[in-house]
Amino acid sequence: MSAILECNSLTKKYASLTALNNINLSLERGRIIGLLGPNGSGKTTLIKLINGLLVPTSGTLKIAGNLPGTATKKVVSYLPEKTYLPDWMKVSETIDFFKDFYEDFDEKKAYEMLDRLHLDPQKRMKTLSKGTKEKVQLILVMSRKADLYCLDEPIGGVDPAARDYILNTIISNYNENATVLISTHLIADIENVLDEVVFIKEGSLMLHASVDDIRTKEGKSIDTLFREVFKC
Amino acid sequence: MLNKLFKHEMKANARFLLPLYLILFVLSLINRVIIGLDIFDGALAIIPRFSIFAYIVSIIAVIVVTFIIMIMRFYKNLLSDEGYLMFTLTVESHQLIISKLLTAAIWIVSSVLAVFASLLLVFANPDSISEIWYQIRLGLTELDVIFKGRTTLLFIELAILAIFGLIHNILMIYLAIAIGHLFNGHKLLGSFVAYVGISMVMQTIISVLAAIVGSIFRESVTNVLSLPNFIFPIGIFTILILIVLYFFATNYIFRNKLNLE
Amino acid sequence: MQWELNSDRPVYVQLIEQIQAGIISGYYKPGDKLPSVRDLAAEATVNPNTMQKALSELERTGLIYTNRTSGRYITSDEVMIKKLKGQSAKDQIMEFLDKMKLLGFNSEEIIALIKEIMNNTE
Repeated sequence: MSAILECNSLTKKYASLTALNNINLSLERGRIIGLLGPNGSGKTTLIKLINGLLVPTSGTLKIAGNLPGTATKKVVSYLPEKTYLPDWMKVSETIDFFKDFYEDFDEKKAYEMLDRLHLDPQKRMKTLSKGTKEKVQLILVMSRKADLYCLDEPIGGVDPAARDYILNTIISNYNENATVLISTHLIADIENVLDEVVFIKEGSLMLHASVDDIRTKEGKSIDTLFREVFKC
Repeated sequence: MLNKLFKHEMKANARFLLPLYLILFVLSLINRVIIGLDIFDGALAIIPRFSIFAYIVSIIAVIVVTFIIMIMRFYKNLLSDEGYLMFTLTVESHQLIISKLLTAAIWIVSSVLAVFASLLLVFANPDSISEIWYQIRLGLTELDVIFKGRTTLLFIELAILAIFGLIHNILMIYLAIAIGHLFNGHKLLGSFVAYVGISMVMQTIISVLAAIVGSIFRESVTNVLSLPNFIFPIGIFTILILIVLYFFATNYIFRNKLNLE
Repeated sequence: MQWELNSDRPVYVQLIEQIQAGIISGYYKPGDKLPSVRDLAAEATVNPNTMQKALSELERTGLIYTNRTSGRYITSDEVMIKKLKGQSAKDQIMEFLDKMKLLGFNSEEIIALIKEIMNNTE
């Protein structure tokens, strides 16, 4: 089975709202896929479901054929929007932590990436700027040899140079067996990097197509199409 | 995996508690010296008074801070932003709970031991130690008479009760925090209410149980031997059931109702 | 090499054009070894799959060939490159002529204008 992610009638409801409504989605390996939609559309809910941080209300979600659990956490590498590393840890300690808990973690690669950024591993997380913290987290996440990388808003709130660095890291770490799922609302900056896009609006799947198909058929950029589909 | 979690937990808490123990140790030394030197008269008398005061404060601080750290750690590491890290590790949620429970119990016991050790450090001298030792042996002999030789069993049961009791109290707090997490707002209030609620339910259960046991074993209640024979074992059993209950409830919330912000 | 990519046309098509432009301009000389797909993709800030697609297409037309052990190379076939240069020039001229016609110039006026400007800039 080559699909890395399969959602069947996936629904997530809370007391007051339906975050995801009957999502049917299949993502193949070896792709860089954009999960696009406005804030509150359900993107983060989907990513949390993939990572086992939420439980579906109905329907199923499978990663490489397995329901979310310890087996899938082994093959999914998650970059949340927040700073989720303990503030008091030194960068080197966070690397030790990842090395300890993830078999697929490549310590050498992580240190190389840190080195290229001229980041002192002896610094504590709390002394770093927000942008630097995010880069450290990205390095940790991308230093794992996972099958599915879930990046939640990796380029939001960082300067253009940092954005380039992040995109560059994603591209350089690409491997044909793994899929990178990037959730963002900053489309223009990453269009050229995406193979496919998934549009989510108010919890429903609006579109899942390849970037080339859209550009050829519609003759417009994903950014333009997005603005049309999600017009307020 | 559990080992790794445990190791990480111990380390994370050590950075607070070891400095605290060090301060306690230093203050103990200072106090022992000051008490030994009987030279502070008149206005200088304020020095030993202040020193003892600081020492007492530090003892209270060690116990209170240990307690607070255990609570904060559970909440901060699992249910705030760090939760995104912990719950996506390749570990089961029950392992997360156990690692924190064990670490909390160990640090609480070690804090109590640290306080005892510091008291000894400040006040112990060969005379008082042999006096205390003599009194202990006297007391044990008397207990042996009262409990007709079952003193060892009594102490074993007391130890188990203490350990289970500690675990029970920690888990009750953890469960209250987990229940508080279920509320969308006012999580702190929710945890507090949950804690009070669980306490009340537990008290009721124990009262009912005690009444039942009392009415079944009526004459035995007056017989002091019933303590090691019936009452303590029943107590241990009850606490064990509560422990299992709290654990499963907390785990259930983590597995099915987790909703990190 | 400066990669300029628009967002309303498929990326791989634009990559093909830009690599061809690089060959014509001499940035990529005949027989030059190309960087790896991943390095090229990182340079252009595009998806490695897309770069792969572009390179495969260029291989199909013969402008690039793969040596299984050592990587991808620009063709040494100078005739082919010259032909590519010619075709590219033709495309530029056609585009230019279309634009000039839109401005309202006829063929003689266009040629005269070109001669005048070229004399001035020499």
